[in-house]
Amino acid sequence: MKVSLFITCLADIFYPEVGKDVVEILEDLGCEVDFPKNQTCCGQPAYNSGYHKETKTAAKHMIEAFEGAEYAVAPSGSCVMMVHEFPALFSESEKEWQEKAAALANKTYEFTQFVVEVLGKEDLGAELHRKAAVHTSCHMNRLMGIKEPPQRLLKHVKGLEVVPLSHSYDCCGFGGTFSVKMPEISEEMVEEKTKHMMESDADLLIGMDCSCLMNIKGRLTRKGCSIEVKHIAQVLNEGRK
Amino acid sequence: MAIENREAVLSQLSERLGRKRPETVEKPDWTISPQRSVFEGLTQDELVSKLIEQCEAIHTEVKLATRAQLIEAVNSYLKEWGAKTVIYANDKRFNDYGLSEFLINESTLDCRMWESENKEENIEFAKKADVGMTFSDITLAESGTAVLFNDGIKGRPVSLLPESYIAIIPKSTIVPRLTQAAEAIHQQSMRGEKLPSCVNFISGPSNSADIEMNLVVGVHGPVRAGYIIVDDKENL
Amino acid sequence: MGIKIGDAPFHERAEKAINDQFMRQAVAKAQDGLRGKKLKAAESLGNWEDWRALGEQIRQHTLENLDYYLYQLSENVEKNGGSVYFAETAEDAQDYVKRVVRKKNAKKIIKSKSMVTEEISLNEAVEEAGGEVIETDLAEFILQIADHDRPSHIVVPSLHKDKEKICELFKEKLGYTGTSQPEELARFVRRYLREDFFQADMGITGCNFAVAESGSVSIVANEGNARMATTLPKTLITVMGMERIVPSWEELDVLVTLLCRSAVGQKLTSYITGLTEPGGMDGPEEFHLVIVDNGRSHILGTEFQSALQCIRCAACINVCPVYRHIGGHAYGSIYSGPIGAVLTPLLGGYDDYKDLPYASSLCGACTEACPVKIPLHELLIKHRRRIVEEEKKSPKSWDFAMKGFEKAANSPGLFSFAAKTAPYVLKPFTKDDKIERGAGPLKAWTQARDFPAPKKQPFRDWFDKRSKEGK
Repeated sequence: MKVSLFITCLADIFYPEVGKDVVEILEDLGCEVDFPKNQTCCGQPAYNSGYHKETKTAAKHMIEAFEGAEYAVAPSGSCVMMVHEFPALFSESEKEWQEKAAALANKTYEFTQFVVEVLGKEDLGAELHRKAAVHTSCHMNRLMGIKEPPQRLLKHVKGLEVVPLSHSYDCCGFGGTFSVKMPEISEEMVEEKTKHMMESDADLLIGMDCSCLMNIKGRLTRKGCSIEVKHIAQVLNEGRK
Repeated sequence: MAIENREAVLSQLSERLGRKRPETVEKPDWTISPQRSVFEGLTQDELVSKLIEQCEAIHTEVKLATRAQLIEAVNSYLKEWGAKTVIYANDKRFNDYGLSEFLINESTLDCRMWESENKEENIEFAKKADVGMTFSDITLAESGTAVLFNDGIKGRPVSLLPESYIAIIPKSTIVPRLTQAAEAIHQQSMRGEKLPSCVNFISGPSNSADIEMNLVVGVHGPVRAGYIIVDDKENL
Repeated sequence: MGIKIGDAPFHERAEKAINDQFMRQAVAKAQDGLRGKKLKAAESLGNWEDWRALGEQIRQHTLENLDYYLYQLSENVEKNGGSVYFAETAEDAQDYVKRVVRKKNAKKIIKSKSMVTEEISLNEAVEEAGGEVIETDLAEFILQIADHDRPSHIVVPSLHKDKEKICELFKEKLGYTGTSQPEELARFVRRYLREDFFQADMGITGCNFAVAESGSVSIVANEGNARMATTLPKTLITVMGMERIVPSWEELDVLVTLLCRSAVGQKLTSYITGLTEPGGMDGPEEFHLVIVDNGRSHILGTEFQSALQCIRCAACINVCPVYRHIGGHAYGSIYSGPIGAVLTPLLGGYDDYKDLPYASSLCGACTEACPVKIPLHELLIKHRRRIVEEEKKSPKSWDFAMKGFEKAANSPGLFSFAAKTAPYVLKPFTKDDKIERGAGPLKAWTQARDFPAPKKQPFRDWFDKRSKEGK
């Protein structure tokens, strides 16, 4: 099976290790992974800020970059959700783009969703003897409805105990440009998120989206808290080594 | 009685909707009807259990009675609550069940039936009454609701003004939920019949959670409510 | 007053709210309680998603035929013996109510809870006409005696006040001598307002849903005050937003079910009143229905039409993480939370409210909670697009930044160059793999948290190198 990795900006620049883990896992599961070099950003920062003309430029570019892909897989539910918004960006008069956008949306998957639902794998043979809390990212969990795949994958990690996290359903306060447009509110949200985390039994936080993790980790280290933060791909890949 | 300024406002709506105002509109067949499957197929006795269960949640005491025990059940509420004055609805079922006879002639309490002809005086009485009593016309098991079809005669204030409220619920009036009551009213309306001037859906005593979301039972309406489910099918 | 609360800019109001620990505790507690109750009530139905889908269908159909159903409603109200006034603006509604107050020479008016009367400043109008308005809903009563404080929540308007504050207020304004126990406070209000109900010349209520087929209005309530207002005074005025209507009692069933469960987690509230006919035998002699447009018709037929599906249950507010931290007043509108951020700019314009659509992390909790499936977070994005592309009210710095973004997103070379150079650009700020104090857009970020330092080798370079090495 051929998989084209959609790395996402944050993973590309700040968390390349997450990308490496994704590549290794997919290859071990028998996929041939390629990296469409022309890929840039899904356009979500512009889209959510109301700059839809600019978003369209980004979307067209990404549609072309992934034109030859069989599957596009990204370690972020949020960026995948944006790709699923692409068809709605184009009007009836841009039928051709609408169709191309729909084609890309149909073959774009979030990483855990792809592993569980497309590859049909749940036990990746990982082991990690720790207590962890899980942050279910809003876009992936709530808006994309990808709830089960991460749970299933983590259930098979030997030794891992997933502990309850109070108010786990609440947003961490990132919200993309929201965090810089409404910094005072964003701060209170991430403060509450980290407070609940510190009150839990976990010494590790596992998430599926680098953006939320960047936000939460940034607050944790600022508070001098030692709870570690990892993307699920890291947990799954490191645990096998 | 008048309708003012209708055309000016409605024509704007039609324009916004991009068409002329339709002469008739057929309601679509809704593709789903989850409301109809609630308590579907339950027997009357099972509905009674559901009703009793819900009454606990709405701070409402329930007594069960046969026709013969009804007076006793009413009387025990009145005693427990230390009632001295009682007003009851102008509803012939109070005669049918022998309750009027008991309240007016046998009881030592100050009892009165609502009479719309003496509205002001009756309101004065109801306002100071310890207990108001009505029959339920339709009873909703799911929500513990007595539905009163107030037609102007029975007396709306009876279930509202006194300190405590008793609803007598003939077992045959119990239906699964609001759906069946709404359906009955809808059918009445479809047949072109006059609807009751006021339909009151009463689920327990008045309450409020406006202060720190703490539930307080008893605000402006009755502070206490009790139901009597009476088996009206027996001995007929 | 209208929908507006205060004149300060949004950021100022938000900051003030964030520093109000009392308010925030009250809001958090209320949210946690209401959210739990709602989830329980929804789950107990077993097929909540079906209910939501049906609710949405009903609301959409009703809005698409709103002119028809309002016509039918008005015909039937008149047939039943009531009067109907269609008010295009808040002023029109005020004028009509003033006319009735003067004609009836009403001195004392008891009012039950209603957001639309708040929206159209009805109390001020009644007072101009010589009437005294007494708010009888417990929360509204609290606000009224607190020198006309404004609602911070559409279902529990006094949510921002805790019981200690309320107790103090009662002591100061009403000579209350009891404790801060909610039961005792509520009983005090029962006694305090009791005589007013009987003396009132007029009742004013809102309307949860009018029923077109029979010309009825329904009021969903718990305290008994709305029943008082619709039973005791000789004249009754009911004010409704023009979208608050259902075709028949069959649909009333569904929407009332959704409303009670979503708003307060009750199967049904204690009192649901369906009024069809005045006539005076045991209720009001005279009935006036005021149907308020006040900007609603301008939403119809636009990309925001679904906002009119709202049944004012506040489920979106009760799950909103932004509302949780800033409360209702920070929105500067009586309609707060996600639905407030959508509705307020539509009713009050972007000049005053262009910040509201941005007061959301777009987490979608609101959309998920809405019992009639309004895509709230999507409507917020639509507002943002309008503000940028049509209203041209976005900050120039953002316009500039987004132009740059567009360029980079369209050019892999530039994008890759940015990725590669980021570590060097940010080097002066970087310490131990993180940035604690950034500049530009990073300044806001790093006020509360660290920012990760970009890695020297972006992923794309690693992959490229790996491929070249033959893996």
